[in-house]
Amino acid sequence: MLWIKNVNLVDPTQGLSGVRDVVVRDGIISAIQERLQEQDVLAVLGTARIEEVQQIDGSGKYLFSGLIDVHVHLREPGQEDKEDIRSGSRAAVRGGFTSILAMANTSPVIDQRALVEFVRIQGQRAGMARVYPIAAVTKGFKGLELVEMMDMRDGGAVGFSDDGKGIQNAEMMRLALEYAKLTGCPIISHCEDNDLAGNGVMRRGEESARLGLRGIPASAESVMVARDVLLAGETGGKIHIAHVSTKESVQIIRAAKNIGIDVTAEVNPHHLLLTDKDVTLTGTSFKVNPPLPSMEDQEALLQGLADGTIDMLATDHAPHTWEEKAKPFAEAPFGINALETALAAVWQGLVVKGLLSPEQVVKLWSLNPARRFGLAGGTIQVGSAADMVLFDPLYKEMITAESLESKAQNTPFLGKEMQGFPVMTWVNGELLMENRKILDRK
Amino acid sequence: MLYRGMYDCLLSQAVFSLSGKVIAMEGTPKNRIMDEDGIRRAISRISHEIVEKNKGTDKLVLIGIRTRGVPLAERIKKRIAEFENVQLPIGLLDITLYRDDLSTIDVQPVIHETKVPFSIEGKTVILVDDVLFTGRTARAALDALIDLGRPQKIQLAVLIDRGHRELPIRADYVGKNVPTSSREIISVCLEETDGTEEVLLLEKS
Amino acid sequence: MKWKRKDLLDLENLTAEEIKHILHTAIPMKEILGRPIKKLPTLRGKSVVLLFYESSTRTRTSFENAAKILGADTTNFSVAQSSVNKGESLLDTAKTLQAMNVDLVIVRHSSSGSAEFLADILNAGVINGGDGQHAHPTQALLDYFTIQDHLGGFEGKKVVIVGDILHSRVARSNVVGLKKLGAEVTLVGPPTLLPPEMKYLGVKISHHLDQELPGADAVMALRLQLERQQSGLFPSIREYSKLYGLNKERIKLTGKDTIVMHPGPMNRGVEIASDLADSVQSVIEEQVTNGVAVRMALIYLLIGGGTVNVVD
Repeated sequence: MLWIKNVNLVDPTQGLSGVRDVVVRDGIISAIQERLQEQDVLAVLGTARIEEVQQIDGSGKYLFSGLIDVHVHLREPGQEDKEDIRSGSRAAVRGGFTSILAMANTSPVIDQRALVEFVRIQGQRAGMARVYPIAAVTKGFKGLELVEMMDMRDGGAVGFSDDGKGIQNAEMMRLALEYAKLTGCPIISHCEDNDLAGNGVMRRGEESARLGLRGIPASAESVMVARDVLLAGETGGKIHIAHVSTKESVQIIRAAKNIGIDVTAEVNPHHLLLTDKDVTLTGTSFKVNPPLPSMEDQEALLQGLADGTIDMLATDHAPHTWEEKAKPFAEAPFGINALETALAAVWQGLVVKGLLSPEQVVKLWSLNPARRFGLAGGTIQVGSAADMVLFDPLYKEMITAESLESKAQNTPFLGKEMQGFPVMTWVNGELLMENRKILDRK
Repeated sequence: MLYRGMYDCLLSQAVFSLSGKVIAMEGTPKNRIMDEDGIRRAISRISHEIVEKNKGTDKLVLIGIRTRGVPLAERIKKRIAEFENVQLPIGLLDITLYRDDLSTIDVQPVIHETKVPFSIEGKTVILVDDVLFTGRTARAALDALIDLGRPQKIQLAVLIDRGHRELPIRADYVGKNVPTSSREIISVCLEETDGTEEVLLLEKS
Repeated sequence: MKWKRKDLLDLENLTAEEIKHILHTAIPMKEILGRPIKKLPTLRGKSVVLLFYESSTRTRTSFENAAKILGADTTNFSVAQSSVNKGESLLDTAKTLQAMNVDLVIVRHSSSGSAEFLADILNAGVINGGDGQHAHPTQALLDYFTIQDHLGGFEGKKVVIVGDILHSRVARSNVVGLKKLGAEVTLVGPPTLLPPEMKYLGVKISHHLDQELPGADAVMALRLQLERQQSGLFPSIREYSKLYGLNKERIKLTGKDTIVMHPGPMNRGVEIASDLADSVQSVIEEQVTNGVAVRMALIYLLIGGGTVNVVD
């Protein structure tokens, strides 16, 4: 039993943004009101003993519905040296995420029901954030045959994606969008034309030329975005564009929405906060795919967020071991470790600067993802499950390898002090993180 | 005038000792050992001795050690030309790359060109330097010379011998022997390199 | 001036004064190359490791000669005969070299930034012998030495660099330093090999060689990697050569006694015709000699005592 007092409750579903008391009983939100009295709380909770109720002073803090990250790489099965479902879902809770969607590019690829169930059950065993499996679109990510989509959905998959690799064959993508209509789940498209991307390692432009690093042109993404929204329009399928990073992609998605195509899109915080100018020859934590955008691209992404073209934030949490990243830039793998720093980064980089409101953050990172993927959560209202985050905008923390729950430390923010962190995370009413520490179960 | 001259001379000299320390450019002038006439007379005497000792100028070549050995060698050449009517070949040697103290000194010396535009094979080489002190510069110069070819003889001419040898090296021609203490510095100033013409004894400050 | 650097990774951070100091130091080194006995005691007891991940007989030999003439001991750590083939990472190789307490590492590697990567780990000095498409500072320095030797300086001199600029670390490094030294640089190549992003260099970009030749004091042809044709970057060697190949007739367009340069190895008849490569205007062989002198100068400056222990 839980009583959070005087907290700044932000819940866009109810158009709510104000100071409230929130009462939770048996994992369910039981009351939301201004300045509750003790006897009212006891009545709601059906108890006479106030000492059984955990009381939390929420003043100066925000209460958000738990964040939902539709794009994380948990690396299990097969690459547990980078991350596993336990460490990744702990990192999620520490970062304020109560639900995460685990991408299918593991080893083996999640292309059978048994593997979907494995991921789901490992998530339950970890007992941290809710882990929802994303299944592959094609068997073995080969781009040749569709997976058993219905069977996988029944096993717990909430979407389909060959993320990590773009589906090169347009006909394959068309068939996937067509067939996936059976499941009601979206196809998540990693938009990348392999020929245009070539052996590139960063965004093609003056910065890549200066560093002598091979560039990936913006078109490597945008031509695929255009192809996929056209195919979604033609088939009437559901498409979700992963990690949008170019101006042209934003323009195409905006146009597609205007003509009624069922498309949603996500953007990664690092694409909103860093640019190709931040890339250095030894800064492999800045190596990510899609690559860090140009300034102009970044402005377009922010505009797309502001006008609703882009529907959600997602981390694309991609842990890699230190040894893998301790290489010259071109040889290191792509990916940024983000779950534990993303909210702070967005807060200090966008919210504090007035580029995004707290309401938008909740909408983009909790409500919209829940709606698009048909998940529980995304709201704090009476009767809903208590997936919640208490966020302290003043909390400061130095990002160190030791402090991270993730097994990896490939974050551009390593060694930096950040401000604005979740200080408590509840999943289903259970407090799993307090004061930046995971509460281990006995 | 004396002090002005000393000042100019000191300013123009970044003196590195071969024993490993940068000698401070500041020093208190104690004594003027040679003036313009003294230097001229010493050069003249050395020139005569060279010709006399070698029984003429056959096979003689002059090589000055950078920096102040170079103008001294030129003066010797000029003087010998006056009384023997021959133009001796003259070269200049930068011994930096042959120093034995490169890894211990604080400031890396700048390397200058060695210019010996003739063969020293079978020649009698007169090495010319301003001051003979520990002998390490002369040692380096000998190594540098031998890398250029195989002379028949090498002789050493210096304007000042101040003692304190650390190697078994002696000069064949000496302008002036000056007994010094280790706290003292000898500063040779030449018109070509320093704008004045004198030899000073300084006390390290 | 005082030399304070442990490494030479690229020319971006070097001042014009530092570049000139290297060139100045190379003059006495070149004199040594003309001697019958080319051996100095200067770097006796110093160990220099040549860590070459890309085959490059010319550059490696040049560095090796330079180090040996200065009296250093050299060790080849080249790809064919080392644990590199067994998949040892650059990190572990660096740690091995660190443990061996070597004085200087000269590295050539196909990845941009590999020299900086090593320099960050090693206490030893590092010279970049070419990293990916990023930088090849010693090639640029030897080119400057050659230009200075022939043209007397850089201020107001017009240098045309023609070829595959996009993939060329030689061109990148050359432009960076030439700008600092006051030369006027023009880059020429087909649009696929000289794309718009190269304007970051801040020099004139052109796709028409004949228009740029008039008034050029030095023209440098870059080696064309012939396999780029398969990647579709240019249609044929014939057409490339017709548009961008240097020959005796074409070089007359400069209207001057222009010097002709090439970093080697040449594709004769492709980017440069034999009649020009072997003509009096060609300084290509001098570039090779100057390469040894410049590398001697650098090795001396980096590990020749004085400031070797200074951490910058």
